[in-house]
Amino acid sequence: MNELAPTPGTGSASLTEPLWKIRWKLTRRSFAQSWEIFRESRIGMIGIILIIAFGIFGALWPIMINTVWDPMVYDPVVGFDPMSMHPSPPSAAHLLGTDPIGRDILAQLMYSTGREFLLGVLSAVITVVIGTTVGTAAAYYGGLIDTVFMRIADIILLFPFIPLLVVMGSMVKLSFLPFAVIMGVLGGFGGITIILKAQALSVSVRPYIDAARVAGGSDFHIIVSHIIPNVLPLSFLYMMFSVTSAILSEATLSFFGVLNIDMSWGMMIHTADVAGYLFDFARYWWLWAPSGLAITLFCAAFYMVGRGLDEVVNPRLRKR
Amino acid sequence: MRRYVFGRVGQVILTLLIYITLVYFLLQAMPGDITMMYLSNPKIPQAAREELRSQLGLDQSLFIQYVSYMKNFFRGELGVSFSQYPKPVWDILMEKLPRTFVLFLTANILSFYIGFVLGKVIAWRRGKIIDHAATVVGITFWTAFYPLLALVVIWIFAYNLKWLPLNQFIDPRLWTAAPFTANQVFGNMVCGAAIVAIGIFLIFFYLLRGLKPSRRSRVYAWSATAALIAAVVFVAVRKGMLIYIWDITRHMILPVLTLTLINFAGTMLLMRDSMLETVQEDYVLAARAKGLPDRVVRDRYAARTALLPTVTSLVLSLASSMSGGMVTETMFSWPGLGQTLFTAALANDYPLATGALAFTGIFLLIAHFIADILYAVLDPRITYTGQSGI
Amino acid sequence: MDTLLRLEDLTMHYKTKAGWVQAIDGVSFSLNKGQSLGLVGESGCGKTSIAMSLMRLLPNNAKLVRGRVLFGGQDLYALSDEEIRKLRWKKIAMIFQAAMNSLNPVYSVGNQIIEAILTHEPETSEEEARERVKSLFELVGIPAERMGHYPHEYSGGMKQRAVIAMALACRPSLIIADEPTTALDVIVQDKILREIEDIRCKINMSMIYISHDVSVIAEVSDVVGVMYAGKLLELGPADDVFKKPRNPYTYSLMYAYPSILGEKHDLVTIPGEPPNLLAPPAGCRFHPRCDWATKECAKVEPVWHEIANGHYLACHNPIRTEAVKPCVEQVAATGNAQVAATGTVTEMHQVTAKGGDGNGASGSN
Ligand SMILES: Nc1ncnc2c1ncn2[C@@H]1O[C@H](COP(=O)(O)OP(=O)(O)OP(=O)(O)O)[C@@H](O)[C@H]1O
Ligand code: SF4
Ligand SMILES: [Mg+2]
Repeated sequence: MNELAPTPGTGSASLTEPLWKIRWKLTRRSFAQSWEIFRESRIGMIGIILIIAFGIFGALWPIMINTVWDPMVYDPVVGFDPMSMHPSPPSAAHLLGTDPIGRDILAQLMYSTGREFLLGVLSAVITVVIGTTVGTAAAYYGGLIDTVFMRIADIILLFPFIPLLVVMGSMVKLSFLPFAVIMGVLGGFGGITIILKAQALSVSVRPYIDAARVAGGSDFHIIVSHIIPNVLPLSFLYMMFSVTSAILSEATLSFFGVLNIDMSWGMMIHTADVAGYLFDFARYWWLWAPSGLAITLFCAAFYMVGRGLDEVVNPRLRKR
Repeated sequence: MRRYVFGRVGQVILTLLIYITLVYFLLQAMPGDITMMYLSNPKIPQAAREELRSQLGLDQSLFIQYVSYMKNFFRGELGVSFSQYPKPVWDILMEKLPRTFVLFLTANILSFYIGFVLGKVIAWRRGKIIDHAATVVGITFWTAFYPLLALVVIWIFAYNLKWLPLNQFIDPRLWTAAPFTANQVFGNMVCGAAIVAIGIFLIFFYLLRGLKPSRRSRVYAWSATAALIAAVVFVAVRKGMLIYIWDITRHMILPVLTLTLINFAGTMLLMRDSMLETVQEDYVLAARAKGLPDRVVRDRYAARTALLPTVTSLVLSLASSMSGGMVTETMFSWPGLGQTLFTAALANDYPLATGALAFTGIFLLIAHFIADILYAVLDPRITYTGQSGI
Repeated sequence: MDTLLRLEDLTMHYKTKAGWVQAIDGVSFSLNKGQSLGLVGESGCGKTSIAMSLMRLLPNNAKLVRGRVLFGGQDLYALSDEEIRKLRWKKIAMIFQAAMNSLNPVYSVGNQIIEAILTHEPETSEEEARERVKSLFELVGIPAERMGHYPHEYSGGMKQRAVIAMALACRPSLIIADEPTTALDVIVQDKILREIEDIRCKINMSMIYISHDVSVIAEVSDVVGVMYAGKLLELGPADDVFKKPRNPYTYSLMYAYPSILGEKHDLVTIPGEPPNLLAPPAGCRFHPRCDWATKECAKVEPVWHEIANGHYLACHNPIRTEAVKPCVEQVAATGNAQVAATGTVTEMHQVTAKGGDGNGASGSN
């Protein structure tokens, strides 16, 4: 079930090879095995392909703006095309049309992609680092630490993020990075701690942890080299789901105009909304469809990778 | 069981205290002191300021202020709204709470039920077309951009098909000559629905007990249900409320639909996974060996235990469902807690916004509590003795 | 006597990523009404697979390659899903290897048994069914008032008895007991074995008793079948097989230790490991481990044939006399080491037996 557990075969090898080398080999092997399983999951692979596609799309932005596109016209925030009526439907000059104030939709979409990656990954990494640390510590030490962090998690679970951030946003308009950090921290101390603690708990009672303890391993050593590697796959899984929730929250809050973010997929729809173009929903489709689709596809991609990983972490979900 | 419930109640109260404290500090931490805003708000007449000043304990130290805030909070004195001066925040929120409650409850029960049934069916037919299709649709809804989803729903049903009214809680044209206020009707509606729900539960609980309820008790149960519903409708007609109830119901359909669409997929996907695990249990194989019909094996064996983790995650996702509820209320101008919170926040009406935030929290806390108890009822393995939460 | 069950050349493979696992290969035997058959063999030799094919409860990746299962003259694999469903438990009931987990945790034990009765005998009222469960509980020695309890409130032994009671609920004509006592301590095990025997005689039911423990099989069966790597090597009346084993594998099972009936021991004391069923050895599957093996054994598969009344055998060099006991010295020499290694060998085998994880708990106690 967990590929990182010491396997009988490696005992003799340790006499001839340095420990780190064996560790590295084991890690690589377990990674290769996990990848084998992951590849079987069709949904996970679709997710990976989508993420790569988004990556390429986002990477095109600096290239386009430096070569093909005139920054005066195509800047996602301050650009303006004096040549036509706005919002203009898709044309040769603007493949996805322009928004109500004359900015190119495709440029906005591309520019935002990189930033969504940054937002999602940053907040997910914060979430997972905090969640893993706190969860393992709570499981390993128990007692007061456990109680305190679990109560905190309870309360955060109670906090409806969106209303909370709307209220906060009405006081201080959050900009991009603080928003990512807040999402990350709230996520990290929230539900993920409970889940990872449960996982760490199931590891920390396994006999080989006791063996390590008897053999005189320090707490830190045991946590880092025995418990965390076993919690990590699950952490990684929840990281994918955290990306999804961070992006969706950002989009929603941007849409309501309570964030201080100059451009994002949510902002694009917000722009169309405040200018009143969303009432004629079908006619001005290019104002909301590209960004709306991007949000859904992007979130779905990470979610699907998460589901694929689920089959790696949880063998009982596999077909056989 | 009783000890378990009491223990949980204790925890709930503790959590509530902490939560309100946090909301208070959030209020304090905001730039441009709240108290100054109170005092300098031009909408507030001079006379009221002195009263406010003493009520908030503005002259005292921070700690005293905190204590008096908490005291006031639990006395229901949440201050006065800026934007709807001089309406007390408490009154405004009490008016909105039932609407959110009904929307939230209806949509959550619906989405949980739909998610549960779909999840169980697609897991049972793993790898078939219906499984793939439902998974794709589920992921789409699960990761959809809520405001856009709401717009699509509005566009399809209200704008294009014109089946249902566009927005809001009621149709003003109908209500100008109405002998009731919308809240009266709504209150009656909620009471009626509650009576029907409890009645049906009791009827089915008492008449259809046991493994093999007789044909006769089945007939009794269904006719009793029909009679109950008929009686409630009859009362509504006698009171002359039916048409107004119908109006509110019509306005409820789209928000409920949207919120259900937002929420069902999470339950469905989870139920599917959970079920894929339980179908591998030995007792499911044993059930098949026992020659039980396929549906019985699926429903009473695989799905029944798969339900448990799904309920747990329902508890974990209540808050996010509340967030979805807020978006929905705002998009549909449904005058509930979420919409109030949102407009208050945008209007810098801090007392109302934080009051709504606090209410949302309390609301969720109670929902949590109920879901926890529900879980304990569903899982016979839970022992009620000396358990401390997680 | 009437034949109740007939297997004709039953061959079943599992599809896995690594290839086809040849779990059952050409197994034929028949069982009379009221008779009890003991199936013995090492872990992973296909005992559970046979049981599952008899219930037609094979997993999706299993494929019936050849052969028929005739129950009361009917081909089980020619029945419709609905017909086979009605036949299960009513005619063929089973006590699962993982008896501990074969009770649904969220319903009371009594109700689970009542449910089985009501499903197969719709005309029975709930009260009658409850009465019947009460007497079944008495029969297997559980206080009747525990009927309303949930499985987690039962001890391991009680669960085991409850599962036995459940198997008896519809008075089936055949019970398959797949290592029903492995998880229990020896005293309880003996008691339950005796109870099963009693009940079986009382209601004249046939039974297939599966175990890797020869002494247990000796206690409960009229007929003994010895399996090795998906094949039956020998089958015959218990007395014949135990006293005059003809197949070398049977022989080493019986005589690896001096007393059959006294001491209990695992099968893994035979040197070497059972073959990988993905690519079993050609010829006789036992030949790499067989002391009697000749060149022929590695090439030609021995034929399954009747050597005496009701005594069947597949072997090129059947043992004729009891004089030679080459195994004994060998075991004496390696015996201790083998016994010590037993646990490991079993575990290693389970690690290699991909996909068969449902049986994981069985091997070592
Ligand atoms: N679902 C499956 N898919 C693939 N291979 C399987 C499956 N079930 C069992 N096997 C393989 O088939 C072979 C026979 O398994 P079976 O469970 O019948 O053995 P057994 O004799 O009952 O063993 P034990 O005494 O351990 O219960 C084993 O090699 C096992 O690995
Ligand atoms: S056929 Fe040959 S190898 Fe097989 S059991 Fe007989 S003697 Fe041994
Ligand atoms: Mg078995």
